[in-house]
Amino acid sequence: MESYKADVVIVGGGGAGLRAAIAVAESDPALRIALVSKVYPMRSHTVAAEGGSAGVKLPTDSLEYHFNDTVGGGDWLCEQDVVEYFVAHCNEELTQLEHWGCPWSRTPDGHVNVRAFGGMKIERTWFAADKTGFHMLHTLFQTSIKYPSIKRFDEHFCVDLVVEHGRVQGVVAIEIGSGEFTLVEGRSVVIATGGAGRVFRENTNGGVVTGDGMAVAYRHGVPLRDMEFVQYHPTCMPGTGLLFTEACRGEGGFLVNKDGYRYLQDYGLGPAEPSPRNKAMELGPRDRLSQAFWYEQQKGRTIEGQHGSVVHLDLRHLGEAKLRERLPQIYELAEQFLGVDPARAPIPVRPAVHYTMGGILVDGRCASPLPGLYAAGECSSVGIHGANRLGSNSLSELCVFGKVAGEEAARFAKASAPGNSASLLKQAQAVEQRVSGLKTKTGGNERIATLRKEMAQTMEDGCGIYRLADTMQKTCDKLDELKERFKNVNVEDKSSVWNTEWLLAIELEYQLDVAQSMAYSALNRRESRGAHQRLDGFEKRDDENFLKHSQAHYVAGGAPRIDYGDVKITKSQPGTRAYGAAGEKAEQERKAANV
Amino acid sequence: MSKRRPYVRPMAGWWRKNPFFVEYMIHEGTALFVAAYALILLTGLVYLAHGEAAWNVWLEGLKNPWYIAFHWLALAAMCYHTYTWFKIMPRTMPPVIVGGKRLPDFAITGSGLAVAVTASLAMFGLVWGMAR
Amino acid sequence: MSENQRIIEIEVLRYHPEKDKAPYQQVFQVPFTDDMSVLQGVQYIKDYLDGSLSFRWSCRMAICGSCGMMINGEPSLSCETFLRDYYPARVRVEALAHFPIERDLVINMEGFIEKLESIQPYIIPKEPRTLAQGEYLQTPAQLGAYEQFSSCINCMLCYAACPQFGLNSEFVGPAAMALLHRYNVDSRDGGKAERMELVNSEEGVFNCTAVGYCSEVCPKHVDPANAVNQNKTNSAADYFMRFLTPKGGAK
Repeated sequence: MESYKADVVIVGGGGAGLRAAIAVAESDPALRIALVSKVYPMRSHTVAAEGGSAGVKLPTDSLEYHFNDTVGGGDWLCEQDVVEYFVAHCNEELTQLEHWGCPWSRTPDGHVNVRAFGGMKIERTWFAADKTGFHMLHTLFQTSIKYPSIKRFDEHFCVDLVVEHGRVQGVVAIEIGSGEFTLVEGRSVVIATGGAGRVFRENTNGGVVTGDGMAVAYRHGVPLRDMEFVQYHPTCMPGTGLLFTEACRGEGGFLVNKDGYRYLQDYGLGPAEPSPRNKAMELGPRDRLSQAFWYEQQKGRTIEGQHGSVVHLDLRHLGEAKLRERLPQIYELAEQFLGVDPARAPIPVRPAVHYTMGGILVDGRCASPLPGLYAAGECSSVGIHGANRLGSNSLSELCVFGKVAGEEAARFAKASAPGNSASLLKQAQAVEQRVSGLKTKTGGNERIATLRKEMAQTMEDGCGIYRLADTMQKTCDKLDELKERFKNVNVEDKSSVWNTEWLLAIELEYQLDVAQSMAYSALNRRESRGAHQRLDGFEKRDDENFLKHSQAHYVAGGAPRIDYGDVKITKSQPGTRAYGAAGEKAEQERKAANV
Repeated sequence: MSKRRPYVRPMAGWWRKNPFFVEYMIHEGTALFVAAYALILLTGLVYLAHGEAAWNVWLEGLKNPWYIAFHWLALAAMCYHTYTWFKIMPRTMPPVIVGGKRLPDFAITGSGLAVAVTASLAMFGLVWGMAR
Repeated sequence: MSENQRIIEIEVLRYHPEKDKAPYQQVFQVPFTDDMSVLQGVQYIKDYLDGSLSFRWSCRMAICGSCGMMINGEPSLSCETFLRDYYPARVRVEALAHFPIERDLVINMEGFIEKLESIQPYIIPKEPRTLAQGEYLQTPAQLGAYEQFSSCINCMLCYAACPQFGLNSEFVGPAAMALLHRYNVDSRDGGKAERMELVNSEEGVFNCTAVGYCSEVCPKHVDPANAVNQNKTNSAADYFMRFLTPKGGAK
């Protein structure tokens, strides 16, 4: 087996991984960085983020507002000290991207422009038309080329960590092009592999978003935190789940039901005004909007389409010129995929799974409980999203915590002795044997696609927008069954070069782990909070028992063990989460009470 | 040992594989007519330098039906060349901003063709007037 | 949905380096609905007909740049090309032209990545600025000067459309040149002189014979042919500047 000695290994070449790599390179040019990614970095799913990235910018805005929006939006399940750090560093990081060339949209006088976004009190979403993630990713990738100490392992699939003497000392990866294994040694490892939305049926995520990094850490005993909180984005393409950015509503778009009625006013988000008001109606948070869709569907006020019920995202009143300028990608997606000209007809949309709020448990400095292991981005749970993420906070998270993870991993690497290469190699060979076993074994009769489909369906059934104990239990049982059947999986392709069938099998095994952590965490949370909403006697938030982070621990061959960790509260005591006119009233009352 | 063995496809006959490439090759091919006609004019110039008698011989030669047919062919080729040349012109120049807006491709191609037609007609009129 | 379901024939160019001497065609019968892309067609093949078919894909929405293929001979993103547009005829799918085939529809893109890396695709600041000083000011017009060239998703369709790249793989080519131009015309950048060396070089812009097909197939309206051809002018100007200024143009 080939082996490569690095100081810091970064797994994942999306926004967080690239930002971490640059942070390591800038903190000490002598450190050797290995950036291991299963796709070329610019293919990573950061590329698909559309609307923008949050950072306080306007004089009318403040860090406190951003903090309050984020913590309230997360239904108080946020680590408040981490949120404080986060909001204080967003602007700086987005400015850094500007210096690196990110083509932010501008005001006429040349300053970076900001737009409104759901759940945000003041406009603070920096944007590059409606391709913000694309531009941020390409800016980071291209900037990373400047640093000679970053050695990329593109199209290398990380299948496991090597852990010795209680600390992580590298990763084992498959070079996809040859099918051969490589040991990448490192004195610290940053996982930045993104979310796991593909475990659900209808989702906005790319094929790569399979939660590998989460599963790899999980199997080494690192808990996955708050995994039951899975975000449904309210405006997605029926069937494929492709995303129509929240910026459609930030720019003034309406959501209407089959009667052309702006139904959100019936769900505590009103009053309906002709132009969007922040934190009201269409600019409410994503969990509330997806939940409102569910109720409209129950009432029979949605429109029946080929791929289930839809409502209409109406952008016609914005006019073609503004749509082409601010939402060019949305315009083309609607035209090409749906045959809809959004300047002339409303776009049919429905909610789809979009984001994994939970992830690898890390502290505010991105360190996991396993020494030497760090995580950043969607795969991590650093604690800023709580029970519901606000749109445009995740792109900022990539930068702020990608940098922290990189710097911390660099510090850890410098303070640690190099590992024993011979014994690490021996471990890596054991990994090779186990993972190769998937394709060398014969006699399996389960199709990968069938298992994957059943998993995605059961996740949608049990862990959708609204949840019930018995369907969640069924999902847990089904996942147990699928894990059992996976032992019988059949990989027909026994070859080495570009054996993607084998990779799909490896991914599926990881997905089943992650799906289990979600379903069991959901079943155990007997309350409703943010994106986790129950209809079986637990409709209310229960701060007394569940103002807690759930933590799923891997149990080999069985169901995960779920326990709970404390939530850090610094300055915002849990309150009523309200939007629209009710939200404004609640805020005034809160202010009055403080005076 | 890596089992990779990338396969490189041959390029032979590439221009026949796509209508766009065929059009490109025709465009390039019509340039030969432009060159050929320049040679014809050059020959005329050489004859002219040898005096009126020589010039008349050259003019008489032009009346050969084959030569006339060639002229029609060359004219058609040059029209086509002109058209395709202006068609790709927007791709070859910096953006033209008029009144804060970028000039669309068809406007650039259209003005190019208009200039070409006007210049040709002016030249034709000039020569026609001189000949009479 | 099933009443709308029809069967289309997808002919795929297969190549397995461990088994085949040369690529060959294989035809699959694929059930499809009107909203299915060619990518979904080949995904169906992989899931239910032949698990060994290899191809790259991810976002499904024409932004990650993974799924470029030759579809009926035209370089296309398979995720935004629809089977309904070919039915009832057979649709022919091959790996992107002009690149070596690693396996089936997967091409070797290492050369392309090296080209991207060679053009210094990052801001070389004209005037250094600290974070505390805030952002560089850049008017919408200044942004407009390079925005289109920054929209390249690296899908490489333009290389598959460029016969000159097919004939000489050393040519820097359309996408990399568009990215080079993107940085050269960014108001924050001062690295143009360094990048001109590559523009002027043997691998540079003069390999281009203005076929223009690269811009036709570009799914993001980058117009790489424009970037290449503007740089022919720049290169010529750079050449003559050498004689006119004491320091001259690029080396």
